[in-house]
Amino acid sequence: MDLVDLIAEKRWLGQEFLTWLWFKSDERGGTIALPERGDISVTFEKHMSLESGEGESLERITCSGQQSELREARTGLAMGKKLESARISFGFNDYEFSVTLSGSLMEYRSAALPKTEGTEVDGSNPEEVEGMVLERIFLLEELTKTVNECFKMFLDLRLSDGWRDEVSQIREWVEKNAEVVTFD
Amino acid sequence: MGLLKGSASFVRFSVEGELPDSSLEYLLDRIITYSFEDIDDNYEEYSLGWVSVQNMFDSQFKNASWVAGDYITLSLRMDERKVSSAILKKCIIKEEERVRLEKQLPKLSRSTRVEIKERVRSELVRKAIPIPAVYELAWNLSEGVVIFFSTNKKAQALLEDHFRETFGLLVKQQIPYTTAEALLDEAQIIKLENASPELFV
Repeated sequence: MDLVDLIAEKRWLGQEFLTWLWFKSDERGGTIALPERGDISVTFEKHMSLESGEGESLERITCSGQQSELREARTGLAMGKKLESARISFGFNDYEFSVTLSGSLMEYRSAALPKTEGTEVDGSNPEEVEGMVLERIFLLEELTKTVNECFKMFLDLRLSDGWRDEVSQIREWVEKNAEVVTFD
Repeated sequence: MGLLKGSASFVRFSVEGELPDSSLEYLLDRIITYSFEDIDDNYEEYSLGWVSVQNMFDSQFKNASWVAGDYITLSLRMDERKVSSAILKKCIIKEEERVRLEKQLPKLSRSTRVEIKERVRSELVRKAIPIPAVYELAWNLSEGVVIFFSTNKKAQALLEDHFRETFGLLVKQQIPYTTAEALLDEAQIIKLENASPELFV
């Protein structure tokens, strides 16, 4: 299957991953326990978009608000939509990254990297510039590695017998959030 | 932008195939062969090639390094002479009217109008100043991964073509499904192939 067909046919995979990640982060108060690394902080920030359907029946909503108040997004979930993009903060090893991840294409947008000594050079000394480039690449790879570890955790669960239980819990979470929105 | 400073927007590509020669001399030779050629002083409509990430005017890499540790760092620069469709339309109508009056014709033939359109477009393109666009990349040689600092589809297509031309290697964008294939074992990949979307309500 070529890439264009894969993108169209497997669009749901990244969207399910982001939706699951939001559930997982909400479930443990903004923390995710990665199998090999332990706890990292994963916080969904003020901006996200959700989608349902495809082709002509595609529906999309974009929401912004403080993290606990993404009411429209939570309502969108209850209507069967899934996350297409979200602004997410990842915190680990004293680093704090912030990035907008897109579900269907796995694009990293406007990734803000932590400032370190190595990234703050003036650019006049070639050796310092090379060090700075390496430091920034290292940080970018730390971010993609972390996202991939979360993705692997999702995939292992998604393709295991435990997925049915997880789906039940996600449905309960979606339902509970919809009630919170209704009674507010 | 994003490799050297500021926030970064990027996608990852896997590099497929083997280099015939992995020495830095060979790589530099390929990069210089396919480096950017300036079109400011000629009438070319379009130019595409490699430049230094630190200086978009350095296409010979004499003053800046293109290697950082295990990474090749390059910028893909494209200069293009563009004419806005509104200007083109206006100038074509103006020239058609001029020719019609000059030849004292009630109406221009189709072939004359086509000739005028081509001529006007060509004249305007020659007058236009090339608009530059620069996209950075970092190629991890040991892992065969390219981080490309643009989410623009046209730029990504340019990268795929120019990377193949330069190095004879294919790059494949890492979307969730292809990323999953790299993370999973064979049994899991078969399960994933057959998986269908889940409903969360």
